[in-house]
Amino acid sequence: MYLLGNAAIYLGLAMAVYSLVILMAGIKTKQQRLVNSGKGGVLAVFICTAVAAAVLLYLLGTSQFVYEYVNNYTSSELPMGYKLAALWAGNSGSLLLWTFFLTMYTAMIAYSRKMKGNPMVPYISAILLVNTIFFYIVLGFVAQPFTMLDYVPAEGRGLNPMLQNPGMIVHPVTLYLGYVGLAVPFAFAMAALILKNMDDFWIKMTRRWTIIAWLFLTLGNILGGQWAYVELGWGGYWAWDPVENASFMPWLTATAFLHSVMIQERKNMLKVWNISLIILSYALTLFGTFLVRSGVLTSVHAFADSNLGMYFLIFMGIAVVGALYVLMSRYHLLKRSAGEFTSFVSKESSFLINNLLLVGSAFAVFWGTIFPLVSEAVRGTKVTVGIPFFNTVQAPILLGMMFVMAVCPLLAWQRSSAKNLKKNFLLPSILSLAGMTLMVTLGIQKAWAVIGYGVIIFLFITHYFEFYRGVKARRKMTKERIPTALYKLMTKNRRRYGGYIVHIGIAFIAMGIIGSQNYDVETMKTLKPGESVDIEDYRITYERLDQRSEGINDIVYADLTVFKNGERLGVFQPEKIFYGNWDQPSSEVALQTSIAEDLYMVLSTWEENGTATFIIKINPMISWLWIGSVMVVIGSLFAIWNGRYQNITPKYTGVMKEVA
Amino acid sequence: MKKNTLVMIGGFAIAGAILLLLLAATPASSGVELKLKELVENGEKYRENYITVEGLLIEESIKWNADEILLEFEVQDEEGNRLRVSHQGVRPDNFSEGVIAILQGFIQEDGTFEAETVKTRCPSKYEGEDMENYDPEFHKDKLDKSPEEGTD
Repeated sequence: MYLLGNAAIYLGLAMAVYSLVILMAGIKTKQQRLVNSGKGGVLAVFICTAVAAAVLLYLLGTSQFVYEYVNNYTSSELPMGYKLAALWAGNSGSLLLWTFFLTMYTAMIAYSRKMKGNPMVPYISAILLVNTIFFYIVLGFVAQPFTMLDYVPAEGRGLNPMLQNPGMIVHPVTLYLGYVGLAVPFAFAMAALILKNMDDFWIKMTRRWTIIAWLFLTLGNILGGQWAYVELGWGGYWAWDPVENASFMPWLTATAFLHSVMIQERKNMLKVWNISLIILSYALTLFGTFLVRSGVLTSVHAFADSNLGMYFLIFMGIAVVGALYVLMSRYHLLKRSAGEFTSFVSKESSFLINNLLLVGSAFAVFWGTIFPLVSEAVRGTKVTVGIPFFNTVQAPILLGMMFVMAVCPLLAWQRSSAKNLKKNFLLPSILSLAGMTLMVTLGIQKAWAVIGYGVIIFLFITHYFEFYRGVKARRKMTKERIPTALYKLMTKNRRRYGGYIVHIGIAFIAMGIIGSQNYDVETMKTLKPGESVDIEDYRITYERLDQRSEGINDIVYADLTVFKNGERLGVFQPEKIFYGNWDQPSSEVALQTSIAEDLYMVLSTWEENGTATFIIKINPMISWLWIGSVMVVIGSLFAIWNGRYQNITPKYTGVMKEVA
Repeated sequence: MKKNTLVMIGGFAIAGAILLLLLAATPASSGVELKLKELVENGEKYRENYITVEGLLIEESIKWNADEILLEFEVQDEEGNRLRVSHQGVRPDNFSEGVIAILQGFIQEDGTFEAETVKTRCPSKYEGEDMENYDPEFHKDKLDKSPEEGTD
């Protein structure tokens, strides 16, 4: 197994180098034979990676503790799911997973039916192979997954209990798929530039890939937040931790790209900007990895200190310099035939504002993340940048984003006339003002909440209008029934209506954020058995404290009876788990979820006489976050689903078709 | 081209606004990270600052008042500088001798540190630790590194 695993890695490295060389030779000498061989190589590299990953999974699954990695992250009593999930618990394993996804994507593109005969394929494969080679070098020489110990430990060290949560199984995988996915649009953009291929074909393909990467990145972030919410016991879902920021920044720039690329499609503008966004998103994924693996910034997510981060920083430097060089050398081509703005009040300019806000937000996050480093280097004092910083900066930006999203659907391309504006905006404005007045009279008086919800009401109305008018126009022509008309309308314009569903999902998420940030209530109380604590409409009675064991773990739990407005909701059990092979206990939160709010109960500590201290929180509208997230996923899947879209993808007939 | 230019100017205005927002928010919401020694000796200087500091917990100094939910304890560094801490909150898990306590809060006039958050850090991160091999000195050389999240 040792041999097989290592052989797969070194063979993978060799194959990747071979494929890269042969592809470049094929491109240079215009020999299809060489290019085909390179494509075969891409597949071989993928198979090597798959074998290496399978071997590691096998070793983890069968608990062979003589392997350092297995010993460090698993123990024999761990459930099988977590044993296998330990593949991405540590440095080398997670890099192997990363490489696996990267080579999978490369193979998918090299053998894609849609890309068949496209001269960009060898270039894209070559660029992705450079990435693969980098990862293989790291796997082969820096973070080797198959290192053996010189003795056989009887038992492994176990997986950090905080990682023993269903979140562990999906959150890292989705995040990696998103991270790696952003390498694909980067490769597309570079290939297009190198080929001097300025048509919009690559954009259509790139968009799909970007949406896929974006979707996974979104999912990864949301699942991470959900995991933190149920596992860490502090009642929040996002802490502006450096590593969270590292995955949030490329999300923001990728979102910006997805929007601004539409302007390029329609008006042939912003080409340089779009390519810069792609390069930036890709660079930020590498930068994020640098942050996580280097230990320069400390966070919950940090892997054990290693010099790995430096490699990523160097690789990022090379990639960015290379990309900028390509961009500059093709600058004159991009500049040619660019369109112009014809009005300030148009979809184009609203997209531009949306872009500036997203990139500005990404920059603000970047600033907050690296400010401690900058300050230490410049002034010598170590500074901490806390959650309040990010919240004060991001809140107005989010509000601006919501506003642009609310207004945008009703603006026309090119220009909107004053009459048009009045017709479109009068009703939504009146309704959201009415909504805001209603909120104030009902007692919601915090400025952020009122303005935020007002803008969101506006957004809902404008989006409703889009659906309503589309259906109405369609029915005029076809006389279909309303559901049929709606269905046909949406499936004929998947991108557009998928996008709207995503917007509505984001609005739900924003409502959840505003509600939970402004109206959360927390109390701490030490209770004797039989005593109660009142918090808003809830009465929580502490019944008893008890203990049970599960496997090698001991669990202390409290029975809490919860009443809401006098009505009994049931018995809840917040727990504290003491692990047989881990010295730090962890809290298991008890949650009572409803559409309006979550009741969040944590058992903190207890005394010998049976009194126990509880932290009780009310987090309003948390479920809206999860509902919104589901809508975002549905919307993006809807937008990229293979429908008619596939048929309108033009077969490639462009410049210099020599090898493909 | 004129409209393009104007749109550009509008764009710069937004970018400038975000930059201003950043500049305004940075000093107000960032704090300083100090060595325990520096804080004990020059506490006066940092009265206004939100301070992050860490030290080794002295177990016998822990006073935990469950009814008021008030935690008082002392931390020290390897040179023996001591800092008194009070924290209106619960005792973190794993709060025992020699663990590194990471404190965030303000220094009071009497030299007590009013901690808003108390976190503990263990020698290991994601890796498990064989407790038999546990080296008490291990914490000490970790002291100079910056804080990280443990469990609250």
